[in-house]
Amino acid sequence: MRILTAVLRTIRNSRRLAAGLIILGVMVLLALFSPVIVNAIGGGKDPIEVAAYEKWLVPGPGHLLGTDQFGRDVFAMVMKALSVSLQIGAIAGIISTVAGVIVAFVAGYKGGWIDGILSTFTGILLVIPTFPLLIALSAYAKNVSLFQVGVMISIFSWPFAAKTIRSQVLSLRTRPYVDLARVSKARDLEIIVTELLPNLLPFIGVGFASSALGAIFGLVGLEVIGLGPGGVVDLGQIIYNAITTGALTLGAWPMFVVPIVLLTLLFAALNMVNIGLEEVYNPRLRGVAGE
Amino acid sequence: MKSELELRGVQQRFHARGVADGYITAVDDVSFSLAASPPQIVSLVGQSGSGKSTIARNVLGLQKPTAGSVLYGGKDIFKLSRAEYDEYRRDVQPVFQDPYAIFNPFYRVDRVLWKALKKFKLADTRAKGLELIEESLRAVRLEPENVLGRYPHQLSGGQRQRIMLARVHMLRPSFIIADEPVSMLDAQVRKHFLDILLDFQTKHGMTTLFITHDLSTVYYLGGEVMVITKGQIVERGPVSTVMHEPSHPYTKLLLDSIPQPDPDQRWTSRIAVDELERVDDANPAADTKPEAPIL
Repeated sequence: MRILTAVLRTIRNSRRLAAGLIILGVMVLLALFSPVIVNAIGGGKDPIEVAAYEKWLVPGPGHLLGTDQFGRDVFAMVMKALSVSLQIGAIAGIISTVAGVIVAFVAGYKGGWIDGILSTFTGILLVIPTFPLLIALSAYAKNVSLFQVGVMISIFSWPFAAKTIRSQVLSLRTRPYVDLARVSKARDLEIIVTELLPNLLPFIGVGFASSALGAIFGLVGLEVIGLGPGGVVDLGQIIYNAITTGALTLGAWPMFVVPIVLLTLLFAALNMVNIGLEEVYNPRLRGVAGE
Repeated sequence: MKSELELRGVQQRFHARGVADGYITAVDDVSFSLAASPPQIVSLVGQSGSGKSTIARNVLGLQKPTAGSVLYGGKDIFKLSRAEYDEYRRDVQPVFQDPYAIFNPFYRVDRVLWKALKKFKLADTRAKGLELIEESLRAVRLEPENVLGRYPHQLSGGQRQRIMLARVHMLRPSFIIADEPVSMLDAQVRKHFLDILLDFQTKHGMTTLFITHDLSTVYYLGGEVMVITKGQIVERGPVSTVMHEPSHPYTKLLLDSIPQPDPDQRWTSRIAVDELERVDDANPAADTKPEAPIL
């Protein structure tokens, strides 16, 4: 309960954070209810089936965003793809944040040869050019599941989080309050969880948001150049279809514009959350009255 | 209580780049002992980089010395059994230099007190704990309602440092390791702080290792003083003797560095930077080991 009120207070204190969270929240809600929305559009049948409707219908009352080259309802497709994109972001974000945080804390807090090995390993992964490797990987990945795509992308995105968090751990672990905790008989794990972790929440949040963004855009990048892994329809896939079929010249502009607007909004929202978190968690920026 | 702290030939080296042999020696063969009874205040004086704080970290068990040992009740503090370790932790407590960095900015200041209560099992109920906390805060002349429930950045440096004293008051250790506790406080708050330390000595029988670079506070506290330079203790004795008849050239230099509170005696003599070096070079005695001081 106390945590909840603290969270609400933080959100109230930062307009950026609030705006970012609202946009993000709306998108997540849309994604969560996408099966319902898709059903409603179809009115009993599947609106994303091939030849469900006539092809290349212009946007109108029946089809808000028109239909595509196979006669599928674009609005329904966009909803479903948004949900896929967000899921990819969440899966890759969680995997790379957890991996990054664990590696960062072990390396930063333990130091010595453990740090040496882990840092070298993260360093090696960091300098590997990710995109070509992703292209190569997705060439082999036919009909992969959402989760597998998420794992594939997070292999390359956790080192970023690990590197930034490790440097913070290095600076935080020599703080006097850590020494005070040690003379108060606190164990290593306790110090990490109760003394260091709370101060690193903004960094972890930023790490999560940037890996999620990286994953979403990484996949979009693959899809747009037509090299995405088969079996996953995300926002990038729709953009790719719009480009290859010349949808813009056929008056089916929503197929191209709507996914891009959604991706831009997502990018803006996550960045606002990032900046807002940093503002809020820097205690010097907190009000003097505290409450 | 096995009340004796002893350093036996403690040496602490750190890896450093750009030094001839790849490491610097912060503490070089330091031996001394502190007895809990009778309670006393022993000051450790030296310039920045002389190894004072490293000694504090060694004594507190935060840094394992490269060679030599720190003994508590005759046993190496890094080889204590669980029960002995618990006792040592309870019995040797610090006051650190920086009243800002000692608090985790994420939590309210009460947390350090509650944590000490919980970890050392001082109270079985919350009400009893609160009572102890309030009593200790009053003992360091803080009003509980003014500090409890606040975040560290809402309190002044003096208030924060006194909360650390309240923590010590609650734990009642035999030894307080105070590492430059007043260097970041202003003159009036400083005296206040020192008075509380003296109070602890007489009322609760706590022995303080008071680490400082400031001879005027040493003079005010009285008791014994040890002078450390370049990681070695070069002089030990009662404050009045060391202050008036310094035997080591470094101590003399240190004493000369105190400005006289007399407008007619302006600070005219300048200490050339290389004089600090020359003191050691000219005096081979500085290189020989100081005799292990015995209380």
